[in-house]
Amino acid sequence: MTRGVSYSSSPLLAGPTPVWRSKFIMALLVIAFVTLAGRAAWIQVVRNDFFQHQGAVRFTRTLELPANRGRILDRNGLLLATSVPAPSIWAIPEDVDRDPAKLDQLAKLLEMTRAELDKRLEDEDKTFVWIKRQVDSAVAQAIAALGIRGIHQRMEYRRVYPEGEAAAHVVGFANVEAVGQEGIELAFNQELGGRAGSRRVIKDRMGRVVEGVGEVTAPVDGRDVQLSIDSKIQFFAYQQLRDAVAAHKAKAGSIIVLDAQTGEVLALANYPSFSPNKRHNLSGAQLRNRVLTDTFEPGSTVKPLIAGLALGKGIVTPNTVIQTAPGRMTLGGATITDAHPHGAMSVNEVIQKSSNVGTVKMAMQMAPRDMWELFTQVGFGQRPQVPFPGAVSGKVRAHKTWRPIEQATMSYGYGLSVSLFQLARAYSVFARDGELVPVTLQRSGERVQGVSVMDAKDAQAVRHMLHLAAGPGGTAQKAQMMGYSVGGKTGTARKQEGKGYAEKKYRGFFVGLAPVDAPRVVAAVMIDEPAAGAYYGGDVAAPVFSATVQQALRMLGVPPDMNVRPHIVVGAVEESF
Amino acid sequence: MIRLNLVLLAAVLVSALYLVRVQYESRRLYAELDRAQGDSRKLRQERERLEAETRAQATPLRVERLAKEQLQMRPAHPGITVYAGSAAQAASATGARP
Repeated sequence: MTRGVSYSSSPLLAGPTPVWRSKFIMALLVIAFVTLAGRAAWIQVVRNDFFQHQGAVRFTRTLELPANRGRILDRNGLLLATSVPAPSIWAIPEDVDRDPAKLDQLAKLLEMTRAELDKRLEDEDKTFVWIKRQVDSAVAQAIAALGIRGIHQRMEYRRVYPEGEAAAHVVGFANVEAVGQEGIELAFNQELGGRAGSRRVIKDRMGRVVEGVGEVTAPVDGRDVQLSIDSKIQFFAYQQLRDAVAAHKAKAGSIIVLDAQTGEVLALANYPSFSPNKRHNLSGAQLRNRVLTDTFEPGSTVKPLIAGLALGKGIVTPNTVIQTAPGRMTLGGATITDAHPHGAMSVNEVIQKSSNVGTVKMAMQMAPRDMWELFTQVGFGQRPQVPFPGAVSGKVRAHKTWRPIEQATMSYGYGLSVSLFQLARAYSVFARDGELVPVTLQRSGERVQGVSVMDAKDAQAVRHMLHLAAGPGGTAQKAQMMGYSVGGKTGTARKQEGKGYAEKKYRGFFVGLAPVDAPRVVAAVMIDEPAAGAYYGGDVAAPVFSATVQQALRMLGVPPDMNVRPHIVVGAVEESF
Repeated sequence: MIRLNLVLLAAVLVSALYLVRVQYESRRLYAELDRAQGDSRKLRQERERLEAETRAQATPLRVERLAKEQLQMRPAHPGITVYAGSAAQAASATGARP
């Protein structure tokens, strides 16, 4: 018989338990609790920053508050450039729902082929790929409506340029990251850009912002930049230039229109141009702002400056007769010729008929230093003070190095180089009775004080010569316009190629002002390599000047100063032409 | 003494619950404010976009084309302009007689 186990009594329990054992256990427990409490206090009170930080990382977020890039406005407040929301589409290739029908629709919305889209999504190791950046809001909404898994959107902004190619060279453009690359966008990038702000927030599990923490750094929006450009005049100038370049099969053309009173640039255009909204395959020829970056020999357009200087030095009066027969002269072994021999002419006629010989005869009575000083004073050889990338200074050599033949050729515009911008500005001297105006691209609207470089009466006398040049018997008759008197000078220069002059490659240009008695507008036009027969500045550039300046004066509200045979038959319904 | 303690305990509980409610309410309102601000930003952008679009529809290029093609208009020039101002000035400027 087996003996049952007795649970009620155990030999182990029989002996008395020593008291120290229970005390020992008690002490251990107390130490354990104290340790825990100490550790808790250490973590939560003394050294709490690590866990505080870890907690914050999990629910607080720093949100960037984007600053709006400033707008570019014309003188009347019309938009030339602004930012609009343009969401960018991105994807996590691994997550993308590969439903062919939906992907086809997506590709169609993004104007991509299906193959292109697949190529973007092919690398499944990547966790972020751009599908297409900066799409239209409407397209983005349609894509969101498709609800494809793994396709996400990120809000970005895109610059739009409503004036398109007409104002492209002035306004320039900003890249995808909203950093200015050309024109005003580049020149005023800092002001336009603004400064992004930020704020710390607490987000809940749904991603909603539930609380702001700490201080908010408010974003500083970019400043709007108001230009002196008048978008109507700008467009008209561009259109006239484009048509002229096409009609004369020219390589390029440029035009600049200045307000002689305020020194503001009313229009500045080049052709070929580009559309700043669609910048694919841009070539340097399209991007170049030729008005400021291209220099050329100004040819006959410097003759009025020489005449003004000769009047100022008392060498001649407007009616002094100069013998230009037989239309040629030799100087230091070189021969200077006129296109047509003219015989004895007054100074007025020398400028009107653009005689090289007559001009040289005046210039050779001056010191080279005086000529050089005048060129420098009107801004030749100096970088224009405009905030524009790539503006060049042109070239006027130091007068000490001039040989007599060089002084002679410089008097009719060969041997120095200027930009169209400098040329137009130099003519403000005649428009402003001897004052050279500072030129600005920003709107001012106030009459500006110029720097005096010529006596008022001499400038007026030259203005009269310019008026004659644009009148009957002058070289620039095609610059005449209806209702307004015009003064101006044509120039035609053979293009330099390598070390010499190219055969049959010309630049035709025209600089002028209107109305003659109280000039309001100074404009310069240049047509590069006209190839359809006519190449004289008076034939290719003067008509562009005439059409543009007439519109500009009308838009500026300048009343006509000449009698116009009215084309309106009063009382009749139809106009008669 | 015990009664006072019970009253205080109840008060503490009520206050604690009220605090939770207020906190919740404040977060809800903050979220709402944030959404409203987001909406306002979106609307501002939308306005900017529409302004740009209006402008794009009214560029001189487009106006010129429509005026020429649809309305058979021509650019104005002084020959077909009557200048209002003083009568004498207008007459001498354009040669037009009323």
